[in-house]
Amino acid sequence: MDLRAGDSWGMLACLCAVLWHLPAVPALNRTGDPGPGPSIQKTYDLTRYLEHQLRSLAGTYLNYLGPPFNEPDFNPPRLGAETLPRATVNLEVWRSLNDRLRLTQNYEAYSHLLCYLRGLNRQAATAELRRSLAHFCTSLQGLLGSIAGVMAALGYPLPQPLPGTEPTWTPGPAHSDFLQKMDDFWLLKELQTWLWRSAKDFNRLKKKMQPPAAAVTLHLEAHGF
Amino acid sequence: MMDISLCLKRPSRMGDSKRMRMTSNFQWLLLTVLLLYLMNQVNSQKKRTPRDLKCITNNLQVWDCSWRAPSGAGHGAAYEVCFENGSHSCYRLEKNIKLPALLPGDHEITINPLHDFGNFISKFTLNEKNVSLIPDAPEILDLSADFSTSTLHLKWNDKGSVFPHHSNVIWEIKVLRKKNMEIVKLVTHNTTLNGRDTVHHWSWISDMPLECATHYVGIRCYIDDPQFSGRKEWSDWSPLKNISWSPDSQTKVFPQDRVLLVGSDITVCCVTQEKVLSAQIGSTYCPLIHLDGKNVAIKIRNISASESSGTNVVFSVEDNMFGTVIFAGYPPDIPQKLNCETYDLKEIICTWNPGRPTFLVGPRNTSYTLFESFSGKYVRFKRVELPTNESYQLFFQMLPNQEIYNFTLNARNPLGQSESTLLVNITEKVHPHIPTSVKVKDISSTAVTLSWHLPGSFAKIKLLCQIEINKTNSIHELRNVTMRGIENSSYLAALDKLNPYTIYTFRIRCCTDPFWKWSKWSNEKQYLTTEAIPSKGPDTWREWSSDGKNLIIYWKPLPINEANGKILSYNVSCSSDEETQSLSEIPDPQHKAEIQLDKNDYIISVVAKNSVGSSPPSKIASMEIPNDDLKIEQAVRMGNGILLTWNYDPNVTCDYVIKWCNSSRSEPCLMDWKKVPSNSTETIIESDQFRPGVRYNFFVYGCRNQGYQLLRSIIGYVEELAPVVAPNFTVEDTSADSILVKWEEIPVEELRGFLRGYLFYFEKGERDTSKMRVLESGRSDIKVKNITDISQKTLRIADLQGKTSYHLVLRAYTDGGMGPEKSMFVVTKENSVGLIIAILIPVAVAVIVGVVTSILCYRKREWEVIRLWKSLQGWKDRAVLVELACLGRGRSLPRSSGRRSCCSRPDVPKELDPWFQAPPSLQPYIQREEGALPPGCQGGLWLAWPVSRVHRWSSRVAQQKFYSRATSTSTT
Repeated sequence: MDLRAGDSWGMLACLCAVLWHLPAVPALNRTGDPGPGPSIQKTYDLTRYLEHQLRSLAGTYLNYLGPPFNEPDFNPPRLGAETLPRATVNLEVWRSLNDRLRLTQNYEAYSHLLCYLRGLNRQAATAELRRSLAHFCTSLQGLLGSIAGVMAALGYPLPQPLPGTEPTWTPGPAHSDFLQKMDDFWLLKELQTWLWRSAKDFNRLKKKMQPPAAAVTLHLEAHGF
Repeated sequence: MMDISLCLKRPSRMGDSKRMRMTSNFQWLLLTVLLLYLMNQVNSQKKRTPRDLKCITNNLQVWDCSWRAPSGAGHGAAYEVCFENGSHSCYRLEKNIKLPALLPGDHEITINPLHDFGNFISKFTLNEKNVSLIPDAPEILDLSADFSTSTLHLKWNDKGSVFPHHSNVIWEIKVLRKKNMEIVKLVTHNTTLNGRDTVHHWSWISDMPLECATHYVGIRCYIDDPQFSGRKEWSDWSPLKNISWSPDSQTKVFPQDRVLLVGSDITVCCVTQEKVLSAQIGSTYCPLIHLDGKNVAIKIRNISASESSGTNVVFSVEDNMFGTVIFAGYPPDIPQKLNCETYDLKEIICTWNPGRPTFLVGPRNTSYTLFESFSGKYVRFKRVELPTNESYQLFFQMLPNQEIYNFTLNARNPLGQSESTLLVNITEKVHPHIPTSVKVKDISSTAVTLSWHLPGSFAKIKLLCQIEINKTNSIHELRNVTMRGIENSSYLAALDKLNPYTIYTFRIRCCTDPFWKWSKWSNEKQYLTTEAIPSKGPDTWREWSSDGKNLIIYWKPLPINEANGKILSYNVSCSSDEETQSLSEIPDPQHKAEIQLDKNDYIISVVAKNSVGSSPPSKIASMEIPNDDLKIEQAVRMGNGILLTWNYDPNVTCDYVIKWCNSSRSEPCLMDWKKVPSNSTETIIESDQFRPGVRYNFFVYGCRNQGYQLLRSIIGYVEELAPVVAPNFTVEDTSADSILVKWEEIPVEELRGFLRGYLFYFEKGERDTSKMRVLESGRSDIKVKNITDISQKTLRIADLQGKTSYHLVLRAYTDGGMGPEKSMFVVTKENSVGLIIAILIPVAVAVIVGVVTSILCYRKREWEVIRLWKSLQGWKDRAVLVELACLGRGRSLPRSSGRRSCCSRPDVPKELDPWFQAPPSLQPYIQREEGALPPGCQGGLWLAWPVSRVHRWSSRVAQQKFYSRATSTSTT
């Protein structure tokens, strides 16, 4: 290989660029604790990924439920789905929530939704659907762990489930197939809304944690709790 | 009809006359009133006696007879009723009489009113035929509903105890729906009265869920007693009973989660307090059927099979929706291809095909129960997943000491059930597992033991196992081994007749006796048998070195089936009568040894050694018996190889050896050899080393006691090719009419076949012409000589022309084709005598002609002029001629007024210039030719002599004369 003068300059420029970015390499940047920033970013990314995954799952599952559940303008009343955690909240109320409350609500919601999803998985009649649901449950479990990690990083305790409030899946004669389908529909819809809301929550949290000065502030806040 | 006779015992007495108040005095009205009055008088006379006796019975035991009381008789009027029924009986009673059922036949009944108005007695003849059988209206004991199945259950008592004998009863049941009592079902139901009160049941499945609307049920009966001859009539309807669903405040859709057969009809309703806007099944909207209140229903006809989660039916109201799921499918098909077998005689595996899909999944999926009737045991199968066409299977634990099993496979789902049975002797249905843990152990170099594991409890049956033995480059061999089955699953078999030091691959499969199915083949097990001593000595040959001092011994490596192991070394020894000389051990890859020997007879022996021992020696005599009568023959491959034959020689006692080598190799030449039994007279030599166009030498040796004698020497080709070079040739001698050509032989390597001849072409030709490129085109000017005598090396070409260039071409050919050409140009020598003659003759002729001409010209100069006339043509020549004529006459040229050149046409008139006329001797000639002159040349002369030649010669002479005269004229 013959190196010409131009190549030497290029290599020098490349070397300079590498040296310039060297402090950004995490393995070399041992100046201190990275803080909750990365885990918030990871949780945010996971939320967006789950949103994408849910779109595919919901399409499959609504087709399984059959028409009119898979029709685009189908909007059934929320009959038996009252026990599902509601993601929709008044904007003022949402703004007034602090980080801990936001994270706690997220954590509690996904704990419940995961439990319902597992019930859904048990009821599904086709093996393919069960596989899809199991895959999504695993991802959701990961999101739950991720939220727990963020909470731990920020020094917030995990919410303890109150005895007797454990969500239950109640299939059987009391719950007709149609109502069950309505619940399934609403479960997927709530999941979608929650993921959307979580993306907003974590984005907000991420922005809050991003600047280094903010990290110091956050550190102080964490001590304050 | 009842025949009633009425007897009046006293004349009729006029009762109180009605006082008619006449409001009008019309005459016709009076007449009418009078007529009515008279008729009334007649009727009132009849009305004063009991009449219209009617008897009915509701239980065939008591006849209830009644009559119309006489007019005027008030309530509580008493009658005396008398009748004959074996004895005369009279009863005093008020209105009707309950008679015990009378015997068949006519009976007279007299009814005597016991009052003061008169003495009118009515007599009636009563027969059973005049009695009507009208049963009492049945009473519904109970009407219940199974809302889940939309079934109504009706229960009533037939009160059969009141009837004296058995009778057929027809019950008519009606079902009414909604508040406006639409009849939805009218059905008859037949029973028999048997003398006891019996409660009957009737059930009806509504096409509409019972929750959708109120349903009413009524019943009546008709007793068809064959012994009763009277009139039979339907009873009155029972009081209606109804079934209604008491809705709570919530709207509901019925039926919920119903499973039904594909193709059936179903009505789905919505019980609601709100106005239903639409209803749809799946994505199809349906027309609404309005029921009581705001309840609505839809009718679904010929429903198709549902998807896995069912078919949704949805009713929409203003701001809500309600629905249900319907599961349309099929009852389970009869399980197909039910087969039960065992792998190990411990567990039975039954497989089947579910047949037609039911389209019902999840909790409504088909459940299977495998029941064994002899033991009474069963196992259940429940599959949650969507059924596919794959086989289902169930495991059934075998029972000790039971060989015959009677299986019934029952399939059940909410729409029905089906079953399939199989009676099987399980010891005949053994499909063994795949044998595992195959191991091999030595017994000897030709025998091994093979052990394997076959899971199962085969203690009571025989096993047949098949062992496949595979050897490299050999067809596989199958050996069957029969053995008694054992409990511990380990089996052992000995295999003999194997080859030593050979890689074998074994695999095993087993079946039971009687045969049902082979197990799968076990994994292959490779094994190398141990070594044995080599079975034969190596195939040996010897050659004397080129200097004749050393004997080179060659041997071939032993084939694997004779080496019986890895050959480590060879021992070579030579022995004569006096001594035995051994060489040191020669390691294996070397297959040749050189021994310095004198010309004595020696026997060379070669022994191959492996780790086990030495082979028998392979011996060969060193001596070569001379053969003076030896010719070199030719051979070419026929078919697969080169066929060599020889005559049978009884002196050859050992064998024949054919050795061959590439003829171009130096001595000792040996490529390979082949030994042929002494009784053979031919062999075919084949070798992968043979190449086309290469000459090989084959030597056939006969082996005698004292040594080998060369019997035949053959040269041959496996395939002849065309020569690659042309023969080098030179011209030895050239004469004026012949050329002697000489050429050299082509080397064997370049000849590439047996030389069959030469082709020699020659023709006239210069170098750098391309004539010879088309030598073969059969041109006639090319001469070809085919020289088939291959010993000929020279050729004289005669009858050539002297001093001529010839193109010579020579090429050789074999049976493989024509070789390339080599060409040469040769010029023949000059012929000197001919040349001299060719020069002298023209000179002599010229001299003679010159002399004769001079003489003649001198003698008669006119000739010259004539000749010139003939020789000249055109105006230029004629001008010259004129001048010449002038010259000849000694007269000057006629002058014109203008300047005139000697080449211009003379403008002298003909009559003035007689010289312009042709001489008389030429006139006929000229006249003949004039017609052929071109226009403008008329009157001119045409001369046959070419202008160029004449002009050159005559003009030279003439001009010399002209100029000399002109000069003289000008001077004069």
